[in-house]
Amino acid sequence: MIMQNSTASSASGRATTVTIFVPGLLRHCCDGASELTMPATSVRAAFEQLERRYPSLYRSVCDETGAQRRHVNIFVNAFNTRDGNGLDTALLAGDVITILPAVSGG
Amino acid sequence: MFERLILCIGTRKGLFVAESSKSRRKFELRGPFGPGVGVYSALIDTRGKPRIYASSCNPFFGMKVLLSTDLGKTFKETKSAPAFSKDDGRALANIWSLVPGDGKKDLFCGVEPAALFRSSDGGDSWEMVPGISNHEHARKWQPGAGGLCMHTIIRDGERMHLGISTGGHYLSEDGGKTFTASNKGIGAGFQPDPYPEFGQCVHKIARHDGAPGRLYMQNHGGWGQWEGPGGPRPDIGVLRSNDYGQTWYSIAKGLPSDFGFPIVVHPHDADTVYVMPLEPSTRTCPGAAPAVWRSEDGGGSWKRLARGFPKKESFFTVQRDAMDIDQLKSPALYVGTTTGQLWIGREGGEEWNCVFDSLPPIHCVKAGVV
Repeated sequence: MIMQNSTASSASGRATTVTIFVPGLLRHCCDGASELTMPATSVRAAFEQLERRYPSLYRSVCDETGAQRRHVNIFVNAFNTRDGNGLDTALLAGDVITILPAVSGG
Repeated sequence: MFERLILCIGTRKGLFVAESSKSRRKFELRGPFGPGVGVYSALIDTRGKPRIYASSCNPFFGMKVLLSTDLGKTFKETKSAPAFSKDDGRALANIWSLVPGDGKKDLFCGVEPAALFRSSDGGDSWEMVPGISNHEHARKWQPGAGGLCMHTIIRDGERMHLGISTGGHYLSEDGGKTFTASNKGIGAGFQPDPYPEFGQCVHKIARHDGAPGRLYMQNHGGWGQWEGPGGPRPDIGVLRSNDYGQTWYSIAKGLPSDFGFPIVVHPHDADTVYVMPLEPSTRTCPGAAPAVWRSEDGGGSWKRLARGFPKKESFFTVQRDAMDIDQLKSPALYVGTTTGQLWIGREGGEEWNCVFDSLPPIHCVKAGVV
């Protein structure tokens, strides 16, 4: 699903269209889409668009204070954003944001 | 009229719905709904076409409210769950109570951290009730072992009683606009002052609709042997009020323990009340032999009801919302255990049978006749 056709620009001036991969458990929050494509230069900017377009999906990933939920991990490509700048992780064109529930048991 | 009995069984792994004819001989089980996700509250709303609501408290993706309009055959999420405003600083951690409001689609919802929300559209949108959620005490309440939860909402016209663990009992007499801590006679065992203005660990409050001024409370007891500052606080665990919750007094004499979580009132007799005493140190049944205790004189005396329960080697807990009673002519009690058993106590608890013995740990049980 393409959310918008316009693109954002990174610091280098290159277009930064990115893809969000949505896990099966949350696809009912975005009309069944497995992937969402949008322009964004950071994870936070991408999620701001999610909050406007798919508030239920956004709320499943971030609580009402805007904080990333404790048991949800957000990867940019293979990089866990918790190990870097979190929601402020910068994005480059073609990056894939993957939303995943954290490993747990019980 | 054809009547069906519906049980909502909220567990650590989702909501189960059991259905029976009013004979209650055989229950058909459906679910789990919201599979894998804890359910701490449910509401069988019989105003108009029956609707079943349940909380779905997802540790990964947050809180949801589930709704069924077909007696629990299918559920879908409402459009939104209660949420604090972005600048509030609090984030929803659990949904502990769902009760009807005045209009057919009006709902109230008690949450963790303790706050009250209201919906006027069947749970699709919610607004916070500031009179209690932003009460001057709200940032001073402390979480109990189960979290800082608003677990009881009892309404009586413009009057509203709230139970908060650990906050105490709060009373509104203006439809929920303002609230006052109303804890006179409610003891607290975990601080030097045995009778503070607020901060008691109230476990559950119950009331008969026909006797709105009389309230029964299961409070956090088990402090009869305390030897520290403030001295022992015997029998603070089971209480009664005759003045709409303005003052409270103990009715725990005769029970094997004043500790417990649920308290339930008979649907046709305001004098009949049920508790499930637990040992305070383990939160399990005294002597490892489960029993519900019933008073038929408003707490003046108590009788042990254990026929059919195991006589030994039982170590389950019954949580605050895991006991309920149906509204049939000869009502049955239902008890859900942390070991995943659902028990039925026929004839008002005289005879107990295990209906389901291998469910996930049970958080809440609600019975409704539709």
